[in-house]
Amino acid sequence: MDFEPNENQTAILDGLEQLISSQHVEAPKEGVLVAYSASLDAELAASGFLDIAREEDFTLLDAALVVERLARLPVSAEVAFSALVGPLFPAGSVQRPFALVSGNPLAPARFLTEARTLLVDQGDELLVIDVDPSRVQHIESLFAYPYGKLASLDGLPLRKMGAELAAAVRRRWRLALAVEGAGLMQSAIDTVVDHVTNRFQFNRPLGSFQAIQHRLAMAAGKQQSARWLALRAAWADSEADCALAAGYVQDAIPTLVYDLHQFCGAMGLTLEFPLHFWTYRLKAMLGELGGSSAQARAAAVATWPDAA
Amino acid sequence: MPDVNVMPIESLDHFRADARVWLEANIPSQSAPLEGPESRAFVLEWQRRMFQGGWAGLTWPSEYGGRSLSVAQQIVWFEEYARSGAPSTHNASFVGINHAGPTIIACGSEEQKAFHLPRILSGDVIWCQGFSEPGSGSDLASLRTRGRVEGDEIVIDGHKIWSSYADIADYQELLIRTDPDSSRHRGLTWLICPMVLPGITVRPIKTMAGPAKFCEVFYDQVRVPIAEAVVGGIGQGWQTAMATLSFERGTASLALQISLVEKVERLASDCTDPTIAPRLADLRADAAALKAMSYSFALASENGTPGAEGSLIRLYFAELAKRASDLAVDLYGIGAPELAGEHGWAFEYLDAFSETIAGGTAEIQRNIIGERVLGLPKGKA
Repeated sequence: MDFEPNENQTAILDGLEQLISSQHVEAPKEGVLVAYSASLDAELAASGFLDIAREEDFTLLDAALVVERLARLPVSAEVAFSALVGPLFPAGSVQRPFALVSGNPLAPARFLTEARTLLVDQGDELLVIDVDPSRVQHIESLFAYPYGKLASLDGLPLRKMGAELAAAVRRRWRLALAVEGAGLMQSAIDTVVDHVTNRFQFNRPLGSFQAIQHRLAMAAGKQQSARWLALRAAWADSEADCALAAGYVQDAIPTLVYDLHQFCGAMGLTLEFPLHFWTYRLKAMLGELGGSSAQARAAAVATWPDAA
Repeated sequence: MPDVNVMPIESLDHFRADARVWLEANIPSQSAPLEGPESRAFVLEWQRRMFQGGWAGLTWPSEYGGRSLSVAQQIVWFEEYARSGAPSTHNASFVGINHAGPTIIACGSEEQKAFHLPRILSGDVIWCQGFSEPGSGSDLASLRTRGRVEGDEIVIDGHKIWSSYADIADYQELLIRTDPDSSRHRGLTWLICPMVLPGITVRPIKTMAGPAKFCEVFYDQVRVPIAEAVVGGIGQGWQTAMATLSFERGTASLALQISLVEKVERLASDCTDPTIAPRLADLRADAAALKAMSYSFALASENGTPGAEGSLIRLYFAELAKRASDLAVDLYGIGAPELAGEHGWAFEYLDAFSETIAGGTAEIQRNIIGERVLGLPKGKA
């Protein structure tokens, strides 16, 4: 077993750091409810980072490392679906950015305001809808990602694909949730560790109180577990691993988000404090694909098909 | 959910019927603005209407504009209030009604009671709180905003933060250090500070739920008259502040607790998702327990300052409120009409984060429960 990045992965991540640095990615100075960077999204697409899993000598795990690193930024771009779900389709057959929904094609979807393709998982088939941006209604949400919905499907180009591709999209969607969630958790924890190290009450750093130390340690344990489960899922690309990783992240989110905000006190409740850049997004991911119990069920079905 | 049998509800049937009729006829048709002058106008108008209808200050003394009714009647009113869908009591009038007013009743002079209490009840004024400072949150006793006694005035310099609605408030319950040689709990004074005084600057802060209701308040040579402003005596501020916090942590949230129980029932009636139903079942059990605990505590606190047990209920409520809004977001889903708008569940979800911060963090409440309810040895701060 090798838990260190290989030569390719190191080169990718170094290149990604250079791109992030050149983009001067910073948290918005003014409080905003949606922090989406169209320029970052365009630069990532142009530089090929979102197509790494399609390249010879590179793997889905390499793409997952890119997704995880970019999730740690205080702004979002449509990265996870493009890098992890997109390679399921022949190059050039669908346009990114992607938005994904389950069941109802008219349901609200992350990134739909920016998307060129909407993938609708209907269980036994997959709808691939070419999105006309003028047909997308913007939805106000308090969960950081740009959200939109289609008012109707009338006249929109729509392809119906089979159950096998639907299952593959569902599997990679779970992988995307797991990998992005692990990255979001990491930045959220880093922000809070910095705060409780430098904020003093009762003449001590807040982080010296065991009540806080212990729960932060638990959060760190959850994040590390989530990360390794997600990376294992990317390596294996199996139904069971992807479902398990997504369910683990979704199950961890409520307690982790509440604890992290709690440790930052009233400051952590404001838009002047950066924590919400990551916790808003975590909450948005919580219910996708039916939430943690649905992923647990999927993992059980994949692992013990006869018993489940 | 059946009523908890802790009081003679039946004897209050007429009172309940009157409350229901009045609420049905008087609930504002427009929704409550969450910030700014519009919020102030709305809150004062609603308070004024309740006062004129005889539904404000039910347990406050009648000589100061209240009705001297029982806590049981207060509970019935809150139940009907929650059932009717009336505006949330978690608004700009919260401080005045729920802890500034009660503190003045418990610790104020006759002149202060006669002047301020009727104005709070009748919807003339908004109050805010000035306790926390940038360096003094959970460690309230480390506060540094100071007051210098000059003749019959106190001159205030310093900086407060997290003062909700300070930008639209008329008065502030303000805790400052008046003895420059003192430390910790000694040498503090609790003041009534008019917010229109020269030298006061207010900066609203936008919360992650959207509205700019938190505020920073800066004091530069602000002069307040001692006789009118000081509650409980110069240097006795910690004792007065403890009364304030006892109300804030004790009975102040009773209406909100009853409202939460009502909301959980509505969630239950909307739930058709078998993956969410088990969480909702847990939530209903907790709501029933909260109802029993809060009624029992409020009835036991009648005619007195609430005890430390209030922290147990306050914390239970705060964590339940967070879980309820969390579940509601999952139940309805992003984009659902139930989540949208200034009073939708998405706002409630984000706003609920403050429940385990305001009035003492969950960690402080647990310390109080451990030391003052369970009698455990006090830890080193």
